[in-house]
Amino acid sequence: MTTTLNKSEGKVLIKGNYAIANAAVIAGCQCYFGYPITPQSEIGEFMSGKMQELGRAYVSAESELGAINMTIGACSTGVKAMTSSSSCAISLMQEGISYACSDELPVVIVSVMRGGPGLGNIYPSQGDYEQAVIGGGNGDYRIIVLAPGTVQECVDLTYKTFYLAHKYRMPAMLLADGLLGQMMEPCLFGDYPYPEVDNSEWMLTGAKNRHRRVIRSYAPLAEDQCVFLNKLFNKYKVLEENEVMYDEYMVDDADIVVMSFGSMGRNVKSAVKACREKGLKVGAFRPLTLFPFPNRKIEELSHSAKKILVTEINMGQMLRDVRLAVNGRIPVEFLGKPVGSMIDIEDIVKKIESMIEV
Amino acid sequence: MEKSFIIAGFGGQGVLLAGEVLASAFMSDDKNVTWYPSYGAEMRGGTVNCQVVMADGEEVSSVNKKEVDFVIALNDLSFEKFLPKLKKGGMMIANSSLVKEIKKRADINYIFAPVGKMAAELGNVKMANILSLGILAKASNLISIEKLTVALDSILPEHRKHLLPMNIKALETGFAFCPVAAV
Repeated sequence: MTTTLNKSEGKVLIKGNYAIANAAVIAGCQCYFGYPITPQSEIGEFMSGKMQELGRAYVSAESELGAINMTIGACSTGVKAMTSSSSCAISLMQEGISYACSDELPVVIVSVMRGGPGLGNIYPSQGDYEQAVIGGGNGDYRIIVLAPGTVQECVDLTYKTFYLAHKYRMPAMLLADGLLGQMMEPCLFGDYPYPEVDNSEWMLTGAKNRHRRVIRSYAPLAEDQCVFLNKLFNKYKVLEENEVMYDEYMVDDADIVVMSFGSMGRNVKSAVKACREKGLKVGAFRPLTLFPFPNRKIEELSHSAKKILVTEINMGQMLRDVRLAVNGRIPVEFLGKPVGSMIDIEDIVKKIESMIEV
Repeated sequence: MEKSFIIAGFGGQGVLLAGEVLASAFMSDDKNVTWYPSYGAEMRGGTVNCQVVMADGEEVSSVNKKEVDFVIALNDLSFEKFLPKLKKGGMMIANSSLVKEIKKRADINYIFAPVGKMAAELGNVKMANILSLGILAKASNLISIEKLTVALDSILPEHRKHLLPMNIKALETGFAFCPVAAV
C-alpha cells in the first residue's frame, strides 16, 4: 500500500486488512505489536509505516507471545494498544488473553481467520469461532468478540472494538477472515464515533504523589478470587444486557431463518432474496457480537420461525450456540464446509428448499 | 443487477492492477463493488487472477462465483482455466498474442484481440492489461472510458503519473478495437 490514509474524504477502495489498520489508527491506537502471518500481514505492514509517521509505537515482536504480552503491558498504562494475528498464531496468544482478562485490561486483538487446525492453510475459514468465543486460555473468562461481514463493517466494528474494550475494561477481539482481509470494497472512515473512556482511575502512570496501584492476575486467597470472578461475570451480564448487536433481514414473517456470522452472511442474504422471489418465507440473521451472543433474540425467533438453518465455513461451531439459545424448540439444521470460498448462493437455496419440502 | 468479472494472466501482466482499476471505476460510478485476488501458494510464472463483482443498488454478495459474466484471459493457461467458468452467454476476452483462437464453447461470446502486440505498438507491452479494460468497457457497456481514466489517475502513484497519457491511449485503442457493444 503506497497511500497514506489515516483520514480520508469520501469513499475509498481498500483491502479489509488495511481498513482495519487505518480504522485502528483513527480510533487512537497508540501502540501496535505484531508478528506477520498470512492472511493479515497487511495490518502490520500498514502500521509499520503509519505509526512511525504519527510518532506512535510500532514493534515487530519476536513472537506472538511477545506481541500479546507487549500489548498487555502497553494497555496497563491506559493507552489504546492492539495486536493482530491469525488462527494458529492466535493459539499462541491464549495464555496472554487469559491473563489480560484477569488483569482487566482493554487489549484489542484482531484475528483474521485462515484454515486449521495446526498450520492449516492460508485460505479463508471460520474455524476459529470457538477459539475466539470460548477461548483456549485457562479459567473462567469471556472476551468481547465482534464479527464484520464487509469491509465497511471492518471499519465500523474496529472502532466499536476499541470502544467496548475500554468501556468495559476487558479484552476485545475483532474476528475477520481471510476473505475479508484480502478483498477490496469501497468504504468510508469518518471520525472515531465514540467518546473517550477515562482510564485515570486505574492506569499505571508511576505512583508519584499518590498511592501505588497494582495490576496483576493473582489472588492468593480463594475468597478474593470469588469476589473478583463475580465482579467479572457481573460485567459480562451487563454486556449481554446492553451491547448485543446483530443484522436481521426479513425475519418477521419467516418460516425459516438462516443464521451465519461474518462474511458468510453475504451469500446468505442473497440466498434469502432469491427465496423471497420464489415466494418462500425465509429470513436472514447475523450476530455482529459473538460475545455477547444474541441469545434472547434467537430465542424469540425460535418462537416465530419453524426451522433454523446455520451456515458457516467450519464444521458447525456457532451452530452449538444457536442450538443452546433455541433450546430444542424447533429444528436447527446445518450447512457448512471446512475451508475455502463461501458456500454458493444456489447451494444455500437448495438446502432451504429441502428443509421446506420435508 | 450483479455482474462478475475474472481477470487472469501470468504474474507480472498486471491483472490485479487491472482489477483494481475496474473496481475503482465502478466505485466512482456509484456502484457497489468487491475485488478479490487469488492468493495462495502460487508458483513463479503461474497464473494470477482476480474477481471483480459489481452490483447496482444492492450489496455485493459472493466474490467466489461458480460462474461469471466476463473473463479477460491474458495468457493461454488462464484461457483454459476460466473458459468453463463463464456463464452461458458470457463474454471471453482473450489475448490472441498468446492464446490460440479456438472456440471450444459455442454458448459464449468471444473477442480475440492481440492486446500484447497492440500494447507493444503503442509503446509498452505492459499496457496489455489496461488495453483489455478498454475492450471490456465497450463489450460490456457497463463502464465508461472516462470512469476508467479517473480510476487509473487515482490508483497510479505519483512517480508513475507520467504513464497516465499512454494508458489512456491504451484504453481508447482497446475501446476502438472492440467490434461490438453489448446488447
